[in-house]
Amino acid sequence: MAKRSNVYDYDLIAIGSGAGGGVAAHIAASQGYEVAIVEADTIGGECPNYGCVPTKALLTAAERYSVAKDSQEFGIRSAGVSFNFKKVQAWKNLAVKRTGTQAGDRAFAAEGIAVIKGRAHFIDKHTISVKAKRYRAKRFLIATGTHNFVPDIAGLKEAGYLTHRQAINLERLPRSIFIIGGGAIGCEFAHIFNSFGSKVTMAEFAPYLIPREDKEVGQLMKAVFERNGIEVHTSTRVIKVEVSGGKKIVHYRSGHKNGVAHVDEILLAAGMHPNTDLGLENAGVKYTQRGITARDTMQTSMPHIYTAGDVTGPYAFTHTASYQGRVAAHNMFNRQKVVAKYHAVPRVVYTNPEIAAVGMSEEHLKHQKIRYRSNAVAIDIIGRANTTGEMTGFVKVLVSRSGILLGASIVSPSAGEMIHELALAVNLGLKADDVASTIHAFPTWSEAVRIACAGI
Amino acid sequence: MSTPKHIVKRAGHTEEYDERKLYASVYSACLAVREPAATAELVAEKVTGDVNRWLANKHEVTSYDIRRITADSLELYNRDAAYIYKHQRNLG
Repeated sequence: MAKRSNVYDYDLIAIGSGAGGGVAAHIAASQGYEVAIVEADTIGGECPNYGCVPTKALLTAAERYSVAKDSQEFGIRSAGVSFNFKKVQAWKNLAVKRTGTQAGDRAFAAEGIAVIKGRAHFIDKHTISVKAKRYRAKRFLIATGTHNFVPDIAGLKEAGYLTHRQAINLERLPRSIFIIGGGAIGCEFAHIFNSFGSKVTMAEFAPYLIPREDKEVGQLMKAVFERNGIEVHTSTRVIKVEVSGGKKIVHYRSGHKNGVAHVDEILLAAGMHPNTDLGLENAGVKYTQRGITARDTMQTSMPHIYTAGDVTGPYAFTHTASYQGRVAAHNMFNRQKVVAKYHAVPRVVYTNPEIAAVGMSEEHLKHQKIRYRSNAVAIDIIGRANTTGEMTGFVKVLVSRSGILLGASIVSPSAGEMIHELALAVNLGLKADDVASTIHAFPTWSEAVRIACAGI
Repeated sequence: MSTPKHIVKRAGHTEEYDERKLYASVYSACLAVREPAATAELVAEKVTGDVNRWLANKHEVTSYDIRRITADSLELYNRDAAYIYKHQRNLG
């Protein structure tokens, strides 16, 4: 059992109680170290309270409604299907409640972790101040997450806008909504609002949706969204917003054409900025606009100060934050350091069909001048597509010259489940042949993975 | 009523935040680069406002923080004054 030092109040203070901070605090406490966790907002952080959990619960409700409404081709009479949005919200609230974050203080306390509520500010490299009370620790973990980036658009602040935090808690659906940003958050909310009947218009600055993934992914999703009635504008910049007659008037420019949309609400999904305003300069911790600079051991420029999660990147996922929290917690208390590796991080967007990717994208390979081969198969050729009637999507794999899997993209029902086979293969450096020679059950969506790997 | 803000000085002691001192130092930096007094007042007001907004959700910060945030804000209004502010310790 570690003894409390006379010099420090704690062996570790984790700043932020989300996936990164929470995991590291738990590991340290379970090894007998004196640990405190500081939280300025809600215990549990972004994912269970405002991010993954509430949005996926809303997406599930949206999906159930769409399936119930649109099942005539299966011989199911579904006229008169409707929804009660208050009950949809109650379902979402139940999902959030079941994460247990509302009792998070007690859960931490039961593990012997002190919970300090408030905003941490470094006074020096071993001291933080929270509500003017000082706490000293031998080590820190900074896992403070991100906040919404607000682009400089004339009239936007005056007109008012929603962020994902407000959008998940709307009591009434807007009749129309303009979504600024066509990344993962923008696309998931477009799917939710469109499914429940809101008129959705989206604007993405990049030439295609989900711009961090291969362009075929975004191009296909644009086609799917447009088929569902969503108005999608890519290579588009919102110029200004006005308010007139109770409507928000969004002016945008696509190439050389100007457009205008009259909507009830605007959702801002134009990216996130790291929460670095905590006196990092006083502790000597270096950071940039992209986040806290970290080594692959998750140490910052000050070796006793670690970081994890969205505030450092390179990904803004719960699964990477908790992974980094584990790496950091190991390295804090062990001489033999381990390093974080990101070559096989699965990335999922929960639209319909789902989007999933792992490893390197084709654009990335080209940029890095790595020679590769690729193969893509449409999912409509497999048995599962036939039996479900869901024909839209593809599996694309990228391999090195010797056939080692480097990356993959999937657009398909259950893509978020299918990707893990490929994540394992990329992680272990397996060849496409290894996947192709593995028996896959008929009829499953994963057959498309085998066929894509076999055809390379 | 807002909570008093504590400023940890370089020597380690703590003082209460005094926005008049901040205003005076920014005003002096502006005058030092020959801004008219009326402009200097306007800039000092804006910068003090920016720093106050930054401080709003904080209870205790360092004097280095105040200098850094002030210089960043002043840079937006008058780069020369920001340079003077950064490099002269006893303005105002």
